Amino acid sequence: MTDLAERRDLEQVYQPAEDSRLLADTAAERVREGELVLDVGTGSGYAASVTADAGVDVVGVDVNPLACREARANGVPVVQANLTDPFRDAVFDLVVFNPPYLPTPPEDERDDWMEYALSGGEDGRAVIEPFLDDVERVLAPGGRVLLLLSTLTGLEAVVEYAGEQGLVAEEVAAEKHPFERLVVLSIAPADVADEPA
Amino acid sequence: MREDLMDIICCPLDKHELDLEVIRRDDDEIMEGRLVCTECGEEYPVEDGIPNLLPPDMREESPA
Repeated sequence: MTDLAERRDLEQVYQPAEDSRLLADTAAERVREGELVLDVGTGSGYAASVTADAGVDVVGVDVNPLACREARANGVPVVQANLTDPFRDAVFDLVVFNPPYLPTPPEDERDDWMEYALSGGEDGRAVIEPFLDDVERVLAPGGRVLLLLSTLTGLEAVVEYAGEQGLVAEEVAAEKHPFERLVVLSIAPADVADEPA
Repeated sequence: MREDLMDIICCPLDKHELDLEVIRRDDDEIMEGRLVCTECGEEYPVEDGIPNLLPPDMREESPA
């Protein structure tokens, strides 16, 4: 592959930034050894590798074929697919997701992979809501979700939407940045969230 | 893909089990092959070690 082609591929795969690090560190702190973790929208595989270093098995999934190739090269077992679609019921102890969350007016939508990685549609929640619709299905008993969000996305609306799906969300990590606050929500089915930790 | 992935994946359309047909194996990884749904018969390719479990209508979509 020429340098130019490599460069073009890199520009089509979301590279680790502040949000990736906050989610990866939070996940690494909260997993227990031997657990099975799914990293949705794994991108370069950064959060997946950091989490795997904590002694767990991590599988990545991404719609972007270039991201899948890069994650695989970084040692992450990866599946090209949409969200949690191709996974069996009740298999994961933890699902982490750094979703596309930036509110994007339709006239600014571009048709490329980086747009897929960043744009959350007009309200920023176009990918988060379908994720929340299906994620409980793939959670093992006692399983939970770590979801990264920005205050630009409307935290309350996400928490409320999760509630409508029978999920309880609580903030477990946050980081302040010039124009937004990055937040990690821990989300679990209501019956799990009520149990003492 | 490693073969133990078969324990956690399923057909993205109807969530039924998949059959694995190996075309080329490299050490402990399946490099080329096919995953076929035992219920609806839909086929999903494994290429360069990566299973593509996008539903057929999303498979052709390639903005890059």
